[in-house]
Amino acid sequence: MKFLHALLFVSVLFLGFLTDSLNAQDYYLYVAAESDDRVHLIHFDGETEQGEISETIEVGTWPQENEGPHGLTISPDGEHWFVSIAHGMPYGSLWKYETETNQFVEKVELGMFPATMDISRSTGLLYVVNFNLHGDMEPSTVSVVEPNTMMRLEDIDTGIMPHGSRISDDGKWQYHASMMTDELIVIDTEKLEVANRIPLSKNGSPKMNAHSGMDHSGMNHENMEHNPVEKPTWADPHPVKPLVYVAGNGSDEIIEVNTDSWKITNRWKTGKAPYNLEVSNDGNMLVVTYKGEGATGVWDLNEEKELAKITNSRKVSHGVTISPDNKFAFISVEGIGGEPGSVDVINLETLKRVDVIETGKQAGGIIFWKMGE
Amino acid sequence: MGKAVKLLAACFLLFTGNLYAQENNELTIKIEPTPVVVEVGEELQLKATLMDGDEALPDTVLFYSRNGAALEVSRDGLVKANKPGTFSVLAQRSGPRDQRVRTRFNIEVPYPPIAKLEFKQIPESFFSKTNYDLLVDVIDEMKLVRENPELSFKSSNPEVATISHGKLLALKPGKTKITATSEGKSAVLNINVKENPAAEITIANSQTNVRTGDVITLNATAKGNNGNAVAVPITYSFEAQPEDNLGQGAEGQINQDGKFVANVPGTFILSARAGTATADQVIRVRKRNVARDIEVVGHGQVFDVHTSDLWVWEGQDGRDYAITGTWGANGDTYFWDVTDPANLIPVDTVRVDARTVNDVKISADGTIGVLTREGASDRKNGIVILNVSDPRNVEVITEYTDGLTGGVHNSFIYEDHVYAVNNGTRYDIINIEDPANPYTVNRFELDTPGHSIHDVWIEDGIAYSSNWRDGIVAVDIGSKNSELADAGGSPSNPVKLGSYAYPSGWNHAAFPFKSESTGDFYVIGGDEAFPEGLPSRNNPAAAAGWIHFVKFNGWENPQEVARYQVPEAGTHNFWVVGDTLYVAYYNGGLRIVDISGELMGNLYDQGREIAKFEPTHADAVVPNAPFTWGPQPHKGHIFISDWNSGLWSVKLLEPAQQGTN
Repeated sequence: MKFLHALLFVSVLFLGFLTDSLNAQDYYLYVAAESDDRVHLIHFDGETEQGEISETIEVGTWPQENEGPHGLTISPDGEHWFVSIAHGMPYGSLWKYETETNQFVEKVELGMFPATMDISRSTGLLYVVNFNLHGDMEPSTVSVVEPNTMMRLEDIDTGIMPHGSRISDDGKWQYHASMMTDELIVIDTEKLEVANRIPLSKNGSPKMNAHSGMDHSGMNHENMEHNPVEKPTWADPHPVKPLVYVAGNGSDEIIEVNTDSWKITNRWKTGKAPYNLEVSNDGNMLVVTYKGEGATGVWDLNEEKELAKITNSRKVSHGVTISPDNKFAFISVEGIGGEPGSVDVINLETLKRVDVIETGKQAGGIIFWKMGE
Repeated sequence: MGKAVKLLAACFLLFTGNLYAQENNELTIKIEPTPVVVEVGEELQLKATLMDGDEALPDTVLFYSRNGAALEVSRDGLVKANKPGTFSVLAQRSGPRDQRVRTRFNIEVPYPPIAKLEFKQIPESFFSKTNYDLLVDVIDEMKLVRENPELSFKSSNPEVATISHGKLLALKPGKTKITATSEGKSAVLNINVKENPAAEITIANSQTNVRTGDVITLNATAKGNNGNAVAVPITYSFEAQPEDNLGQGAEGQINQDGKFVANVPGTFILSARAGTATADQVIRVRKRNVARDIEVVGHGQVFDVHTSDLWVWEGQDGRDYAITGTWGANGDTYFWDVTDPANLIPVDTVRVDARTVNDVKISADGTIGVLTREGASDRKNGIVILNVSDPRNVEVITEYTDGLTGGVHNSFIYEDHVYAVNNGTRYDIINIEDPANPYTVNRFELDTPGHSIHDVWIEDGIAYSSNWRDGIVAVDIGSKNSELADAGGSPSNPVKLGSYAYPSGWNHAAFPFKSESTGDFYVIGGDEAFPEGLPSRNNPAAAAGWIHFVKFNGWENPQEVARYQVPEAGTHNFWVVGDTLYVAYYNGGLRIVDISGELMGNLYDQGREIAKFEPTHADAVVPNAPFTWGPQPHKGHIFISDWNSGLWSVKLLEPAQQGTN
């Protein structure tokens, strides 16, 4: 970890130097328009604080079926982007594209409604949760894909409606939320197995908790009543501290989990229905989308307080990605019905919304690609 | 990707290029043993060593395999082979990209040695001047039948019988040994070729003046010298003299059941042969002559969004109405007064929280409507139940989303129940006797691996679902004393009757068809396929697929007997009234097809197409490009929804001359 800190420090200096000298103010990110089967490459000019759609990539195969691009990630070398296609026959899939050309490379079938994903810097493998929101409260999986060959290696059993796949900086732990069992689930990225399940309920409800010591084998899961409260939808680890932040979509709170003790160390009330969140790269801020009120919260993690709640341009706030220099947060906002989605850009220094870039319908998955040309 | 990593990656990618883009290419992983060969049923512990040149480094290498139960590989390299084949396995030392080392290698699991060969389905007798198929199972020591084995045959007496490409040609009476060999193992079949007793062939068919597309059954009988029938194989062939032989394609086809159909007019000589006995029958085939002109009557323009499905019905006020959905838009559903098919008048719009209203259905009594939702902002989707008693003032009664949150693609209303195709895998059966308080009474779902469903249609208490790779499935949901089924099914107790799947896996729609002219019962399967991928505004879609006629003589005996395949276009929804098929053929527009009489071969080639209409408009969502979604005949007109241009009404004009029955 010390080595990582040192590298981080050097790179920040390096970035600052070169940002000045080369005036690197161009930001590029991808956003998926889930109800239009499109992925947009967004360009944002940091100086003018104006952005636009640089390119639109049509994804999917069927012209008259909505296949639903949902989650996005970028390969560590920046050469490829990946999008999960939620709907299939019946399984969804993972599609791989070149960032340079936005040309399709390959795809692989996954599970039911694959959603968010991340790539481990340790194993180089891609971990994508199969969200399965078709309605039945049944355990789902995390699919593990070797992204070079697009070979699906493993399907790891996990909780019900898993969402929000994010991986620790050392690449060893994948975190995701199990929405309908109120758990934070941790996967060992090398062994490809669940390493821990942390109940998020205030009373530490043991229901469907593999670590409670209960033997569930004789239980009739079909008839079990699941009454999730927190309904967690996202998890993101802190870059340097042993902390993971979880969005409690059902309980309107951010839940902080210490990964040394595996204890909940903080709960902060938030705006309505926090959905996605991301810790800034310097670890000082947390940006949270409030899906239920069409707003975005910016939190100071050191002061443990909300610095600002910024109204989004339309309803149904979805995802967030923060630029590596921590200057801007890019928020995807779905909208409703036929209205366009958007990427709302928030200046994290002024805490103001500085631009709205309209996209295809239901802007959802969003991922930062690069700075510069 | 972690925060620090993202920052590092962004910095270094930006300013130094792909400094970290390469995995460590100096270190290697040594796999032992090499090559890796494991016998079926055996286990082998692999050893993986990280190597720096010749120097072994202490580190952990883990194994990853995606070969399921066929080849189990534990993370530490214990291999268990359960099936033969060549399997790819990954070994990796994890770490940051510049320190990561991986190798991919193959594990060979040899096919078990062949244990024996067995001839199967051996004819009781072999007769001279007759051809036979020789079928052989090649069975290995695991008692598995080898797929596509290399086989060779030899006849000990080629003057009696020879073998070529698996066909035995019995030449003259006598004895011979047929030896089948594969990988050193052999089986011998002793055959005694008898003199073919057929001295005469008679043909019972009396239909010698027919039209293209009419199926003739020759009903040939082989008889011996005493005039009695003899049980010997009869083979059929034909010789064609088409009226137009300038670059003519296939003139017709004959099968080995003695059924013949002509594609083109002309004179045909049909032949039946057994041994040296032959009989010929000359058939005169004239043009089917069923083509009729079609007239465009009305157009309800929808140019700002895509139009999805339609339903046309007589309202409680005696006027006629249509409902059309919208696709990839704002959740609107349009209601039209179509009493005058020349003036399709929009009379109401219902907007729900959705991006796509893919399917629209109206109850038989014209009081209840159901919309299917996809792209709801709360991601609950499901269905919306409407009161359509007054189509000019449609009211939303309620929405129903229990277990339907992934989105409902299609539905059907039948006897106070909604059959809702739940995105992906099944249909839910929902009681709407009290439409304000719907509840699910049961589901129907297949148990095949990776099953997927697309649509369901119900007639006479039987639900016909279309299930992609699993094909057409018929389910009794209340057939009562139907002539087709009486399996005791009900909405709360759906009972599977039968099914039929075809190799392409494109089954998208299913519709029952009881031929008025023959009494035969078919389930018509429709494809949906886009092998060329996505269209765009400047690149209209190119669909593929065709209509499959599957004849059911009892639920256990489906047989695909005919197709209707338009080249360069693809099917979507369709409808049958009487012996006429109405097909929305996507980029091929509306096609109306004569499906009277027995069906065999490709109806498109036989001149059975009555009419076609390609709805286009310069201002359509995709200009000047038909993309026809669905047809519905109603009171003498045919209403169609077109994805690009909205609702249309057309009418078949009276034929200029009689052609069909």
